[in-house]
Amino acid sequence: MIDTGVDPYLGVAVWMEAHKQNEFKFRPAQDRTAVQRFGEMTGAEVLQVLLPLFIVLMAFAAFAGEREHGTLRQLLATGVSRRDLALGKAAGIAAAIGIVLIPAAVMAIAAFVLSSSGGLLAADPARIVLLAVVYVLYFAIVIATALAISARAKSSRVALVTLLTFWFANSLVATRAVSDLAAWLYPTPSAIEFQKALDADLNDAKEMERRLNLRRAELFDRYQVNTVDALPIAFSGISMQEGEEHGNEVFDKHYGALFAQYARQDRVTQFVGLLAPMLAVRTLSMGLAGTDVAQHRDFATAAEAYRRDIQRVMNGDIAANQKKGQVYLADHTLWAKVPEFEYTAPPASWVLTNHAIALAVLVGWLVASTIVMFSSAKGATAD
Amino acid sequence: MLRRIVLHEWRVLSADATVWVVTAAFAVSIGYGVWNGVRWTRFQHGAIAEAHAEEAARYDRIAAQLIDLQSGGKVSPFADPRSPSVFAGRLGPRYASLPPAPLAPLAIGQSDLLPYYFKVSTDARENIVSTTEIENPARLLAGRFDLAFVVVFLYPLLILAVTYNMVSAEKEQGTLPMVLSQPIALGTLTTGKVALRASIVIGLVVVFSAVASILTGVLADGGAFARFLLWMAAVAAYGLFWFALAAWVTSLGRNSTTNATILASAWLVLVVMTPSVFNLIVTAVYPVPSRVEMVQAMRDASDEANKAGAAALARYYDDHPELATGDPAQAMNDFNILRVAVNDDVERRVRPVVQRYEERIAAQQRLIDRLRFLSPAILMQNALNDVAGTGTDRHRHFLAQVDDFHRQWRAHFVPMIFAKASVGSVESVPRFEFREETDATIAQRVMTAIIGLVVPGVLFALLGLRRLQRFPIVG
Repeated sequence: MIDTGVDPYLGVAVWMEAHKQNEFKFRPAQDRTAVQRFGEMTGAEVLQVLLPLFIVLMAFAAFAGEREHGTLRQLLATGVSRRDLALGKAAGIAAAIGIVLIPAAVMAIAAFVLSSSGGLLAADPARIVLLAVVYVLYFAIVIATALAISARAKSSRVALVTLLTFWFANSLVATRAVSDLAAWLYPTPSAIEFQKALDADLNDAKEMERRLNLRRAELFDRYQVNTVDALPIAFSGISMQEGEEHGNEVFDKHYGALFAQYARQDRVTQFVGLLAPMLAVRTLSMGLAGTDVAQHRDFATAAEAYRRDIQRVMNGDIAANQKKGQVYLADHTLWAKVPEFEYTAPPASWVLTNHAIALAVLVGWLVASTIVMFSSAKGATAD
Repeated sequence: MLRRIVLHEWRVLSADATVWVVTAAFAVSIGYGVWNGVRWTRFQHGAIAEAHAEEAARYDRIAAQLIDLQSGGKVSPFADPRSPSVFAGRLGPRYASLPPAPLAPLAIGQSDLLPYYFKVSTDARENIVSTTEIENPARLLAGRFDLAFVVVFLYPLLILAVTYNMVSAEKEQGTLPMVLSQPIALGTLTTGKVALRASIVIGLVVVFSAVASILTGVLADGGAFARFLLWMAAVAAYGLFWFALAAWVTSLGRNSTTNATILASAWLVLVVMTPSVFNLIVTAVYPVPSRVEMVQAMRDASDEANKAGAAALARYYDDHPELATGDPAQAMNDFNILRVAVNDDVERRVRPVVQRYEERIAAQQRLIDRLRFLSPAILMQNALNDVAGTGTDRHRHFLAQVDDFHRQWRAHFVPMIFAKASVGSVESVPRFEFREETDATIAQRVMTAIIGLVVPGVLFALLGLRRLQRFPIVG
């Protein structure tokens, strides 16, 4: 996989059981050494962290270095416009990375398609194309920013130091600084607090009583009877399903609030992308690779809906078949009625709407950095 | 003479506005890092307090219920606290918690990832130790901006920023021959320049860490102070390594830009790339299979154990003949006893699978323990986690104690279940108390890392000093 995203930090297994929604457990990262926290050399990390550094090293002297060597004056004397000069330098750097990246990308895509281990990316070509576009935009931003700073800097040394600081803040500091900031703005409860609030709502006997009374009255009304025993269906099945519905509401409320908080934290990250474009790229890259929190949530929701379906089939069967005073045991045909669990990943367009802020930030950066590059090039003095 | 160089350098450095800007930015980073660490430690303390409050309230309820039952109250057999099986399995589990160590705010380490409290019952071990703290996975991936991050990543950069041109700039400005026309050796001059910068930068980190520790109110504790000395030693050793590296690069006699490029590349390779590559290597050499396999093995085991319930029970009596009261027919009908036997059997079946995971993880750790001497950043990360008590070693120490407590818990209740005894009061129920690692164990681990930093540091310093004698002062 190009981008493993949050996968190592997500639980891999979830218990599907009656009455309860469970957490995903066993984060693979727990089974690794502390060195894991330095990051993984995934394709995404190379593209997000190392490549911008190479761009910086190629671009810092573009204007400042030529000025120091006196060749900038010669170049401008040939009558070339400063605008064309900036474009040409950008194209040169782009070609240099292209020579390395394009064959690598082609090979990676071929490997995905042939080995069928590419997962989501191989299954959905739109995701690959969009991923490529996102990274091209990112490199364009870095090139434009680097050239702008090189044109404005007093000397190539100042340009280098400024750009290295930008690179460091953008690719190494921003992710950590923003994760703490987001968690401070939108805190999540500890597992124990979460469980406590969940249990309090689950064990709310009054609410359960109210629901059962409502349901009973409704059934009495429908079947024109006035005792539970007179109902043509087994009320135990109905009351169990009612218990499930109550539980479902409570789980939806609490887990919904938790994931909403994660989504708010993620929005902070996307907005801070205004300062560090790498944050926007990371969000989009994980999103397109299908390894972000939103798609984990999508899968978890599908798994949960499946659990509820099983529950409904079971309780419906009890309601239809159980006779008073008997223990009812279903045979295997009942389980045959339960469909297999199937999951289709959301389309690429879903990812883009989900991370619209990041996309807007990225485009904004591209426009702004290009404008600044041209204006800086125009203002660049020959000596 | 050295003193005069240091004083002069101080005058030159303090006149430079950028030095003050960089120092201020660095101080802000340290402050933000400490603040994050303190907030996280508070969060952990809060969660642990919440857990113990929940336990205390539960125990109060149970105690009241026991009194009520004594005076003739009624309760369903599935919720009867007098039943040792119900009590030890569902009503009365106690928390085993790992309190943050005194210096925990200084390095969050693995503490955001590894669980720090478990609810211990008679349930199978793997079910108990599989709980995790709630956290946004994106945040776990990003890591925390704590003081350890500032120290491991930023601190060497600051060192490189103040040293890369300390001699080459003088040469480029033409002042170097003038200085050296005085009766002074280049070695002495460079030593003085490094000494001043080292005391400023290292001092900055140490002073801010000290302020942080005082703010969190941990330095009053005698044990904490010893740890803090270790922290300072590690920070100094790491700083010395980078200063020595910078001195050696300086001695090569290149211009400022080349020096900056060499040092920045060294930083990139040692701090960013080597750890990631080592991580790739260890996970490739000793891959840990997905825990899905373990979950599957546990499900199979519990299915089989349930099926073979009677057989399991018989085996249990074989293992514990002292518990066979001579009436197995009755005991076999006893659901509670069967549950104990089944839990025991599940554990026995799952043990080899779990062991495979543990062996793999241990093998990864052993390999990293050897490879880390090639990357000062890994050495430093390990050392800081050890001092702060947020590393894997202290967590393993905790897990071993949880295992002991789990065994103790069972040893207390299982005979009661077999003897059909009833829980009379909550007084005698075992309690978990975390025993801290000894200072000596931690000191030994940290000292290994410090030696790993100092040895190459001294080597670079000596090489640099020798090389300085051949330094091209002009041209």
